[in-house]
Amino acid sequence: MPTIEFSHSDLERLLGKKLCLDNFREEAVLFVKGEVDGEENGEIKVDIKDVNRPDLWSVEGIARELRGHYKIEEGLPEFKSRKSGLVVNVGGKVEKVRPKTVCAVIKNLKLDDQAIKQMIQLQEKICQTFGRNRDKAAIGVYDYDKIKGPIRYTTFKPKELKFVPLGFSKEMDLEHILKEHPKGKEYGYLLKDKKEYPVFIDSAGNVLSMPPVINSNYTGKVDEGTRNVFIEVSGHNIKHISVALNVIVTALLERGGDLYSVDVKYDKILTTPNLEPRRAELDMEKCRRVLGMDISGREMVKLLRQARFDAKLADNKIKILYPSYRNDIMDERDLIEEVAISFGYNDIEPEEPKIYTRGEEIEKELYSKKVRETCIGLGLQEVLNYTLSNKKDLLDNMRIGGELVEIENPISSRWSVFRNSLIPGCLRFLFNNKHVEYPQRIFEIGDVIKIDKTQETMTLDKRRLSVLITDRIMGYENISSVLESLMNNLGVKYEIKEKNDKKFVKGRCASVLVKGKVVGEMGEMHPEVLENFGLEKPVVALEIDLEVL
Amino acid sequence: MYELTEEGRRYLERGLPEINLIKELCKESDLKKLREMVDGFNIALQWAKKNGWVKIEGGRLIRERKPGRYDLEEALKNLKNAGKEQLNILFKRGLIREVRDDVEKEARKYIGKEINNIHPSLIKTGLWRKTKLKRYNVKAAGRKIYPGKIQPYQKFIMQVKQRLVELGFREMTGPAIETEFWNFDALFQPQNHPSRDWTDTYSLKNPVYGRLPDKKIVEAVKKSHEGGWCYKWNEKRASKLTPRAHDTAISPRYLAKGVEIPGKYFNLVRCYRPDVIDATHGVEFNQLGGFVIGKDMNLKNLLGLLKMFAVEFGGAEKIKFYPDYYPFTEPSVQISMKDKKMGWVELAGAGIFRREMTEPLGIKEPVIAWGIGIDRLAMCALGIDDIRELFSQNLNWLRNHEVL
Repeated sequence: MPTIEFSHSDLERLLGKKLCLDNFREEAVLFVKGEVDGEENGEIKVDIKDVNRPDLWSVEGIARELRGHYKIEEGLPEFKSRKSGLVVNVGGKVEKVRPKTVCAVIKNLKLDDQAIKQMIQLQEKICQTFGRNRDKAAIGVYDYDKIKGPIRYTTFKPKELKFVPLGFSKEMDLEHILKEHPKGKEYGYLLKDKKEYPVFIDSAGNVLSMPPVINSNYTGKVDEGTRNVFIEVSGHNIKHISVALNVIVTALLERGGDLYSVDVKYDKILTTPNLEPRRAELDMEKCRRVLGMDISGREMVKLLRQARFDAKLADNKIKILYPSYRNDIMDERDLIEEVAISFGYNDIEPEEPKIYTRGEEIEKELYSKKVRETCIGLGLQEVLNYTLSNKKDLLDNMRIGGELVEIENPISSRWSVFRNSLIPGCLRFLFNNKHVEYPQRIFEIGDVIKIDKTQETMTLDKRRLSVLITDRIMGYENISSVLESLMNNLGVKYEIKEKNDKKFVKGRCASVLVKGKVVGEMGEMHPEVLENFGLEKPVVALEIDLEVL
Repeated sequence: MYELTEEGRRYLERGLPEINLIKELCKESDLKKLREMVDGFNIALQWAKKNGWVKIEGGRLIRERKPGRYDLEEALKNLKNAGKEQLNILFKRGLIREVRDDVEKEARKYIGKEINNIHPSLIKTGLWRKTKLKRYNVKAAGRKIYPGKIQPYQKFIMQVKQRLVELGFREMTGPAIETEFWNFDALFQPQNHPSRDWTDTYSLKNPVYGRLPDKKIVEAVKKSHEGGWCYKWNEKRASKLTPRAHDTAISPRYLAKGVEIPGKYFNLVRCYRPDVIDATHGVEFNQLGGFVIGKDMNLKNLLGLLKMFAVEFGGAEKIKFYPDYYPFTEPSVQISMKDKKMGWVELAGAGIFRREMTEPLGIKEPVIAWGIGIDRLAMCALGIDDIRELFSQNLNWLRNHEVL
């Protein structure tokens, strides 16, 4: 979800209308699927929720959309283009590196400070989110007046070519740029293991850029004095990079300027940008059904035109033309949502679904409730711990070994594996409350996650109960009596078998069996375990599986 | 300590009946006559026989042996030195009883005194009348007792679930570790798209891959992705395991398995995302979500459902809907509500499941799906402002927190 910033006055200027902040926050922002995230000194911060609408990631796109909803300019926005005569020759060698590019030229731009800021922001957002950090799409904008066509898009060996990268003053070869320029360090991985690197170079031998990493300082610098620009988007898929080009070109044109196409020469010539509107159809009955609203075809047409579509009634359908910068129209549903947004979600009368069904909880939860109630009756305080833990607490501190479900990319090693037992988390809890009044009697009901190759997910969640009691004097009999009382009240017959377990004191721990199957364990925690958890008073503990009871 | 009962005292004066019988036996042996002569004849005969002193032959009593020294008689005369066995017999025969002296002695200690507690001996003997009970400062607060209690967050969750069940929702559940297939692919989230970043997910080091479901479903999902998003769908990627990143992973499992139509479903489960932990991001969090399926379900119904939730769970005064975006719903909506204390709070996200998502699972009917930020609601209800406190590590807080 991209967050974009722009100035309030710039928005009003592009909109051609006064729009106070309250109105923008309460109403207008809903039309662009946004939410105001902050306002300061006339600067507005907006979260645009739709990751498939890069056309809304600049103030120009937002203003264009709002002009429709405020009936300043409805229907399809028009863009005219002429031929620039500029040719970009795509060499065969880029095929293995970064095969595709689409380009455009805009002349007579008036770039002020706001326009430049928005252009940079839009480029960044597109490259980051839509372009997957420049991998799927990277955008370059250049001073057209410094370029002598035709341009070649080709590759060079790492040391074969030198140019001055943006923001630097000395010439460096391609390899050095990747190693030393900040952008080279940041995006160099995208060219890792390539034998040659992609380069845009003009017929005078001036380098435009090494995509997707860095522009040259000579042609690739655009400022308030720049009037004419050359724009290229590079990537792997023509369709994908065309959306990016259309979004940036149409955003720039919102501030004036004339668009010129470029002939990109692969085996065949591809003239870009292609701003031809796309076609779609909307079944009116389906629209009414999905919205649950009795809405006329004419009303739908009006609402779609406010969303900057061209719409015409044709029998029981609406024929639609939508702008080429829209990347999100996949199905009729997407058009229906446009109708609803234009209508205004808050103007639709909510209606509770009239479906009468019998509700119920799953068995595991019902059983947990019963056990919880019994534990409360035994005077135990319930605690809740995370299911994530760490190896040290679960294995080392408990003096045991074993295989755990482990996270590959943990934020912190403290929360890097899933618990295989509830007891360690509860011991950690007791440590956190060492100076609180004793005796301390706690229990937890929760899931542990075990590796189980028979399962579809190779893991199995098991609902468990643990009980821990600690006091100055505390022994095995205190926990065996909890087990006895619990089982008695749950009506479960059980057996106790002595066992050897390093986390417990020898001769003071046991397995709990139901119908001959081990379902849990109890005992006095081994003094070394207590030491490991930083505890100073004896602890007795019980842990049982609830689902097998 | 023992003392003689009335009968015991009589026997001490007149002799034990069995001794008296033996004495009379010197003069008379006819049973009928002896019965007239000896007090307590039945008892006398019983004990004389038991001691082996006499036997009965043809209506006559015949002495078998001389009693000699009779321990029971000695015991009766001298209770203090009596053996345990003799005392037992005397007690059983009702000739002695326990002395009440101890009780009285204990009770007498308190007479005339101002006392703290009423000793049971005072009540037994009635001597409490001769004591005075000290006045207490009844205004002093009592000592705290810590009862067993449900964890407050758990209690909140239980109440929300109870309410959902009352509203006719059936609970669903799924594994904490999911395949990406159920977590993403079945929700029509393309494999290489920002929408998968959108949830920023964990992956697993061990185990790494799980198994995909029925081939029919896998093929249908693959077709839907490749048609809708124009890329090559990768089966291996889909079988990668991930800790459940959002609760919506559960819905497609149930939809594929078959649900009641019309039907209302919910789930409340732990979810995992690699967020940096702070006051608004816990190590893990709960999500509450679900769906309503029915042939006429529409956007109006979805808004109606959300409005009901806002009133039921948030006690909302005012609500507002925002257009929203989820890869698996269209239209999508977010609802915010105005809370008395917190102001505007984001309550839930929702939408109508996309056709591209439901059809591969074999569902033709519209499904309206919803998810509520349960942790935020819990924080409002429990009066806490740090999400980590939902899993409080503070025993004092748990012990003293007001019961919800």
